[in-house]
Amino acid sequence: MIWADEETLPRHEMEALQLKKLKETVNYIYSNVGLYQSKMDAAGVNPKDIQSLDDLRKLPFTYKADFRDNYPTGLFAVEKKDIVRFHASSGTTGKPTMVGYTAKDLGNWLNNVARVACMGGATSKDVAQIAFGYGTFTGALGLHGGLEKLGASVIPMSSGNTNKQIMFMKDLGTTLLVATPSYALHLGEEIKSRGMDPEKDLNLRIGLFGGEGMTEAMREEMRKVWGEDFFCTQNYGMSELCGPGVAGECEALVGMHINEDWFIPEIIDPVTMEVLPPGEKGELVITCLNKEALPLVRYRTGDLTRLFYEPCSCGRTTVRMENITGRADDMLVIRGVNVFPTQIEEVLFDIPEIGPHYEILVERVNHLDVMTISVELVDDRLLDSYKLLSELGDRIKNGLKAQLGLATKIKLVAPQSLQRFEGKAKRVTDLRKDGI
Amino acid sequence: MIRQVSIFVENRPGSLREITQVLADAKINIRAFAAVDTPEFGILRTIVDEPQAAKECLTSKGFVVRVQEVIGVELVDEEGNLDTMLRILSEENVNINYIYSFVIRQGRAPIMVFQPDNGEKAEAILRANNITMIEEKDL
Repeated sequence: MIWADEETLPRHEMEALQLKKLKETVNYIYSNVGLYQSKMDAAGVNPKDIQSLDDLRKLPFTYKADFRDNYPTGLFAVEKKDIVRFHASSGTTGKPTMVGYTAKDLGNWLNNVARVACMGGATSKDVAQIAFGYGTFTGALGLHGGLEKLGASVIPMSSGNTNKQIMFMKDLGTTLLVATPSYALHLGEEIKSRGMDPEKDLNLRIGLFGGEGMTEAMREEMRKVWGEDFFCTQNYGMSELCGPGVAGECEALVGMHINEDWFIPEIIDPVTMEVLPPGEKGELVITCLNKEALPLVRYRTGDLTRLFYEPCSCGRTTVRMENITGRADDMLVIRGVNVFPTQIEEVLFDIPEIGPHYEILVERVNHLDVMTISVELVDDRLLDSYKLLSELGDRIKNGLKAQLGLATKIKLVAPQSLQRFEGKAKRVTDLRKDGI
Repeated sequence: MIRQVSIFVENRPGSLREITQVLADAKINIRAFAAVDTPEFGILRTIVDEPQAAKECLTSKGFVVRVQEVIGVELVDEEGNLDTMLRILSEENVNINYIYSFVIRQGRAPIMVFQPDNGEKAEAILRANNITMIEEKDL
């Protein structure tokens, strides 16, 4: 089933719709958001210069740093009284990336999520268990609202608490799971280890996965764990753009359809910043259309992908983006949470007993991400007792937990034992090769 | 009081030897050496003949080193001697964070080294009970 007519528009009609909305959007940001006005003035672009979709590239980029510099609501185009919902995700440093929605934005967002759920095979008959963490992250409440809009029965489980997940899954006959793909694999293994057969003893038939990329190896593994008939798709979004609902895979599994009437994608070379032709790999740049609270133009997502414009066998004509193959920056996705090494750095720099050098090791243990941070001990006073040493480890862990919302492992090492770098440091070792 | 040299040590093959090698090269004599098992890292406690020189040469090789004062008590090798000392301290509510012993003293009485939570109080108690504490010159 296809949720919205816009998903099947002929290309020229889609482009006409996009251009109309783009003009409105550019007029809107120029008169309502100071940052856009000053950036456009500096670039010598006026809203009336936008006469074709190609004119989009005349507009300046927007960066994640713009959120930090204008924290909390400096990029908003409406007053706080018009906001009906705030969400936040991790920023590159201590300040989160704050986003907001008007009532109209919220309706559009959840409608886009309903489209994505529909692409993944969800129907009003599904019992949907949401195993994303609730709170300020957009993932849980986004899928929650989108699936409700679709008419599914939603179970707001939140993340973790495996025993309860399994109990609800069994007792309510869950048919659809919303989770990170790695948590879905972990949950399947846990169910097996309790002597149950996920295929025979449970009704799960669909996975709507997001928060982190899913490799084909993981999809293959998913069938081994949940059964041959288990069908899973991944979807794409980020809180700055709205949250989930930007794009999703359909039954053809040939990339994620972008909801193009709301999001215009471009692919650029992250170094030269030139727009690349269709099919070439580069950084995804998204312009949100007709967003009221937080309009966003030419946003540098940092995600590396390719775009394919050929119509799909599913009947949709919207452009498809390939699975994210990497990042243009050094962002890590740990258990579905975005982590920037600069966030970790900020915590470590405030702890005088350790040195400025650090290394991050990311592994996947039992399908779950484990992040170990090695730091050098420099303060000899801690050698007075082992308690002081282990308290230091706890203090670092607690600081990181508060900053990242994630549990980490800390490894104290001797000074001078971590590698030194001339020029750009390579502090991250990611051993999660194919995601399993 | 005697000075103890504590060194941060990672739990991996060779880590203790790296320390003894530095000390041997600097011709520093190790009198006592104690490390308990710890999951990833620990603290090596040593008594050496030249604590300040040991700290300097180990620090120059990148080790984290702490010199601190601990109590050394001479205990004649007879049944019940350790028990007596520990009883006296426990009766006065002095907590011992760790304790280890000198093994080889060329014919003289063995020494127990320990770090109490209150060093001055522990010293006073031991003195009052005629338990012999040793100074560095006696080592």
